Amino acid sequence: MTKTVYVAGVAALCLLGIGLHAIDAHAAGGDWKRGRVYYQKVCTDCHTAKAGGAIAPNARTMADWTAYLNADKHAKGKDSLRNYASREYRASVKGTNKAAEKYADVPDEQLFNDIRSFMLKGAKDGDSPASCN
Amino acid sequence: MGVRICSALAIAAMLVAAAAGGADDGASDKVLKSTSDHAKFKVLQQEFASGPEVTRACLTCHTEAARQLQLTQHWKWEFLNPDGRRLGKKSIINNFCTSVASNYAYCTTCHIGYGWKDDRFDFSVQENVDCLICHDTTGNYRKAPGFAGHVVTQETEFPPGSGNRLKPVKLGPIAQEVARTSRDNCGACHFFGGGGDGVKHGDLDSSLASPDKSLDVHMDALGNNFACATCHMTAGHQVPGSRYAPTAVDRGGARLRGKEYKTNPTTCQSCHGQAPHKAGAAKLNDHTDKVACQTCHIPAYARGGVPTKMSWDWSTAGLMGLDGKPMVRKDAKGRVVYTAAKGTFVIAENVVPEYVWFNGRVTYTLLGDRIEKGAQPTRINHFEGSAGDNRSMIWPVKVFRGKQAYDPLYKSLVVTHMAGTDDTAFWTNFNWEKAVAVGMASVGAPFSGKVDFVETESMWPITHMVAPAKDALRCHDCHASGARLEKVAGIYIPGRGSDHSVWLEVIGWALAALALAGALVHGTGRIAAARRRH
Amino acid sequence: MARAYIFKRFERFWHWAQAALIIAMLLTGFEVHGSYRLFGWGRAAGLHTSVAWALIGLWLFAIFWHFTTGEWRQYLPTTDKLGAVLRYYLTGIFSDEPHPFRVTRLSKHNPAQRLAYLLVKVIINPLIWVSGLLYLYYNELGATGTVIASGLGLGAIALVHTAAAFLMLAFLIGHVYLATTGHTPLARVRAMITGWEQLADEPEPETRKIPAQGVST
Ligand code: HEC
Repeated sequence: MTKTVYVAGVAALCLLGIGLHAIDAHAAGGDWKRGRVYYQKVCTDCHTAKAGGAIAPNARTMADWTAYLNADKHAKGKDSLRNYASREYRASVKGTNKAAEKYADVPDEQLFNDIRSFMLKGAKDGDSPASCN
Repeated sequence: MGVRICSALAIAAMLVAAAAGGADDGASDKVLKSTSDHAKFKVLQQEFASGPEVTRACLTCHTEAARQLQLTQHWKWEFLNPDGRRLGKKSIINNFCTSVASNYAYCTTCHIGYGWKDDRFDFSVQENVDCLICHDTTGNYRKAPGFAGHVVTQETEFPPGSGNRLKPVKLGPIAQEVARTSRDNCGACHFFGGGGDGVKHGDLDSSLASPDKSLDVHMDALGNNFACATCHMTAGHQVPGSRYAPTAVDRGGARLRGKEYKTNPTTCQSCHGQAPHKAGAAKLNDHTDKVACQTCHIPAYARGGVPTKMSWDWSTAGLMGLDGKPMVRKDAKGRVVYTAAKGTFVIAENVVPEYVWFNGRVTYTLLGDRIEKGAQPTRINHFEGSAGDNRSMIWPVKVFRGKQAYDPLYKSLVVTHMAGTDDTAFWTNFNWEKAVAVGMASVGAPFSGKVDFVETESMWPITHMVAPAKDALRCHDCHASGARLEKVAGIYIPGRGSDHSVWLEVIGWALAALALAGALVHGTGRIAAARRRH
Repeated sequence: MARAYIFKRFERFWHWAQAALIIAMLLTGFEVHGSYRLFGWGRAAGLHTSVAWALIGLWLFAIFWHFTTGEWRQYLPTTDKLGAVLRYYLTGIFSDEPHPFRVTRLSKHNPAQRLAYLLVKVIINPLIWVSGLLYLYYNELGATGTVIASGLGLGAIALVHTAAAFLMLAFLIGHVYLATTGHTPLARVRAMITGWEQLADEPEPETRKIPAQGVST
């Protein structure tokens, strides 16, 4: 009897684990729509108004972007790109930026993934090249 | 033993709790959005060779979906106007790319079906309904022009021999991610009507995929984030709110849950009612009987950075450059304003609409209707209404002006065979007579052999891109001379000079001037008299 | 020179409040009409409505006051001395002739004034009131169908309202000018502020009938 319950419990856990794992694998794809909004409203906010100039996803290839994102050296290596997707950064600009405010609590890794999927999708050779519009 | 069971359960529960807590928010968001994860369905875990194969898989669960869709305008491209005339994409001729007929393989890229390559398409085949074009969430599903709505699943050279290679679309992953429709889905066709981004409507373009609040208060990606279907409340795949069946006047109140309504749910009034303005601005509510909400709340269209076409002159098409290649001209911003294939365009952003009385009735000039080349442009379609009919409102419209081919002897608009890889298509051979002959033959219409050009006009309702209240029109935008409603007849608009009675103005000001002059003369006389006495 | 207390406190308050409100109505009203841009159309229309209500309130008080005090009789028209008064303003005033009319408490206005004020009260004011209220409540009328049934469109209402406004404007100009025609240019304005009218020398006997507390010399 005890054993049965035990087994059932473990089995339940395993199933749950698998379930969660499956969902995680899914999330690894990234929510490109959220990435799009963040890119357009946070990254671009800085890039057109303050510094860096416009960055259109379709300016580079998927391979270029992948290398760029993995290197994580933003602004010619001055700082980290992940920093600009981080919760700290979002918290620091959320007073003036609605997108940062809305996504204030999205885990860093997840949001970075969202941005990545948008950038890869919008790359020159991506599935739907995106200009700055 | 009881204790051991309990502790085992407790541990299990704790572990479950820990695991659940560790699950990230995004995942649980996803779980809460739908009861089913399509990636887990066996029938979708395969490599699909074609669109219809996916549809067959969808239909194994969604048994009635295709039949529902086959009832719609989305499927039939047909609409029976209240005046008894047959409209819809399939039959009308517009002043953009003019006609679907004889250009099926290209135009039907935006049909929600597979394989409509000519007028023999079988509308009853269920697997020809395209589920993915509306339910894709990856943004990777696309249909290339020239394939009659089919999706390319293998690398293909198109047009054959051109060296242009089309990337294949992987259908499996797309099918596994389907969900409810979003702005991106509807936009894939509706943002690009007329042959390009923003071309046709002016109030629908790709800037609405993730707009900010200033562009559209309802679709604001960081705010209300409405999908199209939030207003175009769809049940059983029947999408309400077509411009073919417009509701110009809605006298109803805001809708309550649980109540059944037979009227169009896409109107502003269906949520906001008849007196939407706050007490402090109550006078504004006095306008809602005559002025459509859109008139004040959409101060301009094409506001998202994407220009819309304002006019299109086909008569200039066909010019070759010095290099012997079809000519292309661009404006200062690098936007195309002439191509040999299409003629001359005028494009514009932030366009102030024109305003007309509209009662919901739209009349059309169809193929075979007698038209005259004269001072008045031919009305491709026209919004009916007047101040006096008591069922019209003042609406903002985009008037699209064109100059397009017609048959000067039979005095009719014509079907032109525009697109195709054959040698009669206008876009490949630039010969109007040939292209029209083939086009007219394809619909069995007579053609004199002569082509001339006639000025045309079409009207498009402006109803998207609703601005925040602070950007809505101000009183003086209409209550002034030469203001937005200057040309709207049949109504007295305080502040509009053309409504003044000329004789009253003359007499009234003359009276005031006389009084003043009398006072001045009399006063001067008194002063002079007093001087003399001293 | 004799002085007489002619204009009571309420009367003076009514006069000046009305003057301010009517000038505000004219300024905002002709902007709403589209004659010029001053406050901005929206503000002009808003002000026009609020000031209208203030004016209506004031008028109600004034009507009540006129009837309870019997002062309404001041506006009964008379032809007595009318010709003389008109002749005075046309010619006599230039040769320093004496005014043919003597102000008294019982008869504050000369016959020409009586006529002019009566016209304002029985023609211009009612026209403005009625057309203005119809204008303001046009939507409600429209909803009941009465406007359409009677053929009374907003254009017609506005026409009457504007015509009355022009009359009021002409009256205002004439009235302001004639206020300077006392024995000194500001004498009548001063009387309207203090209530005390300077009576010309050799007051006629009837002036003496004024109750003692109203007269000082
Ligand atoms: C605080 C302002 C700021 C923000 C926010 C910002 N950037 Fe930048 N970005 C810069 C500056 C400054 C440069 C350097 C420009 C130069 O050197 O010309 C730059 C450069 C870049 C470049 C060019 C390559 C390089 O690194 O030099 C890319 C790509 C880029 N940013 C992407 C992003 C993305 C994606 C985001 C959002 C996650 C982002 N940026 C957010 C300021 C910003």
